[in-house]
Amino acid sequence: MADMTAPAGGPVTGARRPRLSAAAREGVAGWLFVAPVVVILGLFMLLPILMALWVSLTEWNGQGSPFRAGVPFVGLDNYARLFTEESLARQDFMTSIRNNFYYVLIVVPAQTVLALGLAVIVNSRLLKGRTFFRAAFFFPSVTSSVAISVVFLFMFANSGAVSGLLNLFGIDGPQWFSDSRGTLHLLLGALGLVDPDAPPAALTDGGPFGLSWWEWLSGPSVAMTTIIMLVVWTTSGTFMLMFLAALQDIPVTLEEASRLDGAGRWQTFRHVTLPLLKPTLFLVLTLGTIATWQVFDQVYVMSQGDPAKTTLTPAYLSYKTAFRNFDYGPGTAISFVLFVIIVVLALVQRWVLRDRDAVPRPGRRTRRGKA
Amino acid sequence: MAVSIGAAPRSTRERRRTGGSAGARTLASTFAGYFILIFFALVFLYPFVIQIANSFKTEPDAATHPLSPLPDPVTLGAYEKVFLNTDLPLWLGNSLLVTIIVTVGRVFLDSLAGYALARLRFPGRAALFSAIVAVIAVPGVVLFIPKFLVLNQFGLYDSYTALILPVIADAAGVFIMKQFFESIPVSVEEAARIDGAGVFRTFWSVVLPMARPALLTLTIISFQGTWNEFPHTLVAVQSPELFTLPRGLADLVSGSLGKGTQYPLKLGAAVLATIPVAVIFVVFQRYFVRGANEGAEKG
Amino acid sequence: MKRATLRNAALGALAGAGLLTSAACGSGFDDKPAAPAQQSTGPASLQILIGSSGDAETNAVRQAADAWAKASGSTATVTPAQDLAQQLGQAFAGDNPPDVFYVDASRFADYASVGALEPYGDRIANSQDFYESLRATFTYDGKLYCAPKDFSTLALIVNDGLWKKAGLTDADVPTTWEQLTSVSEKLAAKGITPLAVGDTRDRIGAFMVQAGGWITSPDGKQATADSPENAKALEYVQSLLKEKFARFPKQLDAGWGGEAFGKEKAAMTIEGNWIKGALKADFPDVKYSVHELPAGPKGKGTLSFTTCWGISAKSKYKEQAIDFVQAMTTADQQMAFARAFGVMPSRQSAKDAYTAEFPGDAPFVNGAEYAQGPVNAPKMESVLADFDTGIQQLTSTSPASVLERLQKNTQAALGN
Repeated sequence: MADMTAPAGGPVTGARRPRLSAAAREGVAGWLFVAPVVVILGLFMLLPILMALWVSLTEWNGQGSPFRAGVPFVGLDNYARLFTEESLARQDFMTSIRNNFYYVLIVVPAQTVLALGLAVIVNSRLLKGRTFFRAAFFFPSVTSSVAISVVFLFMFANSGAVSGLLNLFGIDGPQWFSDSRGTLHLLLGALGLVDPDAPPAALTDGGPFGLSWWEWLSGPSVAMTTIIMLVVWTTSGTFMLMFLAALQDIPVTLEEASRLDGAGRWQTFRHVTLPLLKPTLFLVLTLGTIATWQVFDQVYVMSQGDPAKTTLTPAYLSYKTAFRNFDYGPGTAISFVLFVIIVVLALVQRWVLRDRDAVPRPGRRTRRGKA
Repeated sequence: MAVSIGAAPRSTRERRRTGGSAGARTLASTFAGYFILIFFALVFLYPFVIQIANSFKTEPDAATHPLSPLPDPVTLGAYEKVFLNTDLPLWLGNSLLVTIIVTVGRVFLDSLAGYALARLRFPGRAALFSAIVAVIAVPGVVLFIPKFLVLNQFGLYDSYTALILPVIADAAGVFIMKQFFESIPVSVEEAARIDGAGVFRTFWSVVLPMARPALLTLTIISFQGTWNEFPHTLVAVQSPELFTLPRGLADLVSGSLGKGTQYPLKLGAAVLATIPVAVIFVVFQRYFVRGANEGAEKG
Repeated sequence: MKRATLRNAALGALAGAGLLTSAACGSGFDDKPAAPAQQSTGPASLQILIGSSGDAETNAVRQAADAWAKASGSTATVTPAQDLAQQLGQAFAGDNPPDVFYVDASRFADYASVGALEPYGDRIANSQDFYESLRATFTYDGKLYCAPKDFSTLALIVNDGLWKKAGLTDADVPTTWEQLTSVSEKLAAKGITPLAVGDTRDRIGAFMVQAGGWITSPDGKQATADSPENAKALEYVQSLLKEKFARFPKQLDAGWGGEAFGKEKAAMTIEGNWIKGALKADFPDVKYSVHELPAGPKGKGTLSFTTCWGISAKSKYKEQAIDFVQAMTTADQQMAFARAFGVMPSRQSAKDAYTAEFPGDAPFVNGAEYAQGPVNAPKMESVLADFDTGIQQLTSTSPASVLERLQKNTQAALGN
């Protein structure tokens, strides 16, 4: 084994003596220790990505190996089709982007606010039973996404628990999973601004990327809101723990000093606690955004993109395009575009974080708040 | 009054400062706090009550009284059907097998690599660590098709190897272990080294025993992650005899024509899929909490 | 750790990628698909993947396969797929497809056009005996690729109990669209949902046929989706949906029309003959009768569905597989399947035996004369799935725009 790895690893080469120098021995051991992980991650993370990049440039039809002569090479066509060509592929892709965008837009703030609120209350020194409540809020996060989706399917069935609950309050709830109406459309209709059954021609006549403005402005469908609720419910617990850890790092004296100075509870939270939580807040927002752009399990189990494609997400679309329609090239192209979206968003958030960190100091703000 | 006892030092001090009305306010906000906590505890836990209760109901009962926590009549029919009419016992076995192998493998391989990255000096270490961090940042969903392609190309598709091998090492675990090993003092190892123990011996019999908390954390998050893993099974196997519990459950739900909704049965299968993680959660809660926060640090 | 992570990550990924490129190029992926070594005689071990309609079908096929295996000294493993299209797709790409598998007519062109199927059809004894329309469905480039397994058509299923409850008699069973509307009014007045109908082209398409329209021209080469006939059909369906005379299964908490019907949530449904087996198994107490679908402005119309026994072009045991299919498609075996799970034989020679044994199925059998088969062209799946989306939104969109979109997409897929 040493023979195999020494030339690549150690700075002392050609050391085939029975005793290697200590440094060389450590070098060899180091590479031996990491070798299994390197091989597995290389073979099942990096190599696949390279293979998929190749497939995304071809029109491989799913017959036999994609790495042989005769598989048609089409360059960037699969990518271009998603953005420039007037086609069903682009329409589906843009629909999935729209759906996921609204999904992120609601899930990320909702889960962050809920997690922060719960963390603050659980952290309150006045209350007992913190361990129990912490566990209760966290438990949904550790259970199987598939199992939980089954439970929500049942709860949101038309004769299910949620409809029953709404009936108790005299509300005739929607037919969750078969309701493809956009909630923003419904809202606009309820406000009397637009008639959802006959939207103004200005909105329906045109729009970017093959969807009309009216379609872009749908908001999440009623069916999508069930998935939104499910995900907020399952992920808030994890983020609550992160906030809780950060809250516990805040010295009690700091908050108490503020209270003694006469600041109200809200003011203390707003001007002392919150600024100190900022790193965690941005972390939660970043992790939340990255995770929500990848929603897949729930869509697979609960809706498969239905009703009327309003729960179609890029992750599910890429899976469906490849494995159902055998369009592996376009399917992988979608997943790489999704990859780019996620990386760009993560970078943008890092950049925003850096800028904001440099701005006002928490202490100054507190003083200003009191003045 | 009973409420304020637990928080005596603080509330008495406040009362001394501002008089009686603040005490009333504290009491009110304590009530509000409990109200919110209990309300959300219900929101977060009642779905599980519904899940368990309805798995013991008959189908008509579940359809007419989905909210009720009390089955009427109580029946084991759903569970009987789950065990006799579906392949659930098989899925359960597969899930156990895969989860145990992957967990053991991950704990061992991740701590080996984490230790090397934390303590051993070898050329390329910094670059390798960056690469590991990069791998953590790769979103899982973009790997569906790629993983399928590579398994397919190696002839591993649709085998136990396909279920296990690609996930037997994970970058996040390496990261957690590296952070941990960096936090323990070097002196103990140095003593062992001076005694002439080799690198692996030192790692195995000196360092690992000290790493028990981190190993437990990693064991638990690996177990939970692998037990719940769904998308990987979707692209790794297709034969029903290789299904794990989440995959089997997902197929049960999107089941074929003519099977009907059969919610008690599906909920029963979901209960069975939830139990192992739930038990571990109750027993090892603090390691879960630690795992979540380790996850936070890695970001 | 916090800020530099992603930059490091990107660099690391690039470095790793560079390392692995060489590995990927050097590892010798095979250049040509190896022709499968044939083992044309002797015992074979056949893998058979079926898209089963339920336990009844799975058991029946298993039984028949076991009998064949015993007689021929081979083994035959029957696996029911939960999601046939997905499993086949992954199997084709994985180079290890099952030897024999169900091929749905709607996906046939996709598989045939990529060379996944062995064109063995005319090597089956007396293959001319299959109904001509079924032969046409499974013919690609002039070759009959596979033997039709069976077929089914849609009919109107009426719940006798609810019918009586609403004070209706046999004479009230609708035979035209007008009667369907008027009987729906009577049912709705009694608080009974009149009709549960699937929310896809595989059910709603029947109305298009009754109006004299269809998605493509008879030769399958031209898109005819935006015809006035189709518009009339969708407008009629839209009116049923808006009045809540017709409801989609999901709106009735059911996975498909048969389940909604079995749970007595609707007095009528439009389903194929598979509903018989499902009702017998899950809802044995529901009494029902079968009728031909109400005629539209252009007369009677229904849809037919069929599946064939596909043999993989990559199978090692093609000869034995053909022998297996031969055994599965004899008139006797088809009658056995008909008894077990309610499909209709694809052989004309079995027709008389079938109608004699199942007189109540006359409406299904009669439908064969005026039934429209599935769209037979590759790359249509996503187009039709998109059409289904339009159907699901029919209450809030205009039929014209749904059809316009279907027309555009069909033209693109057919290349005209």
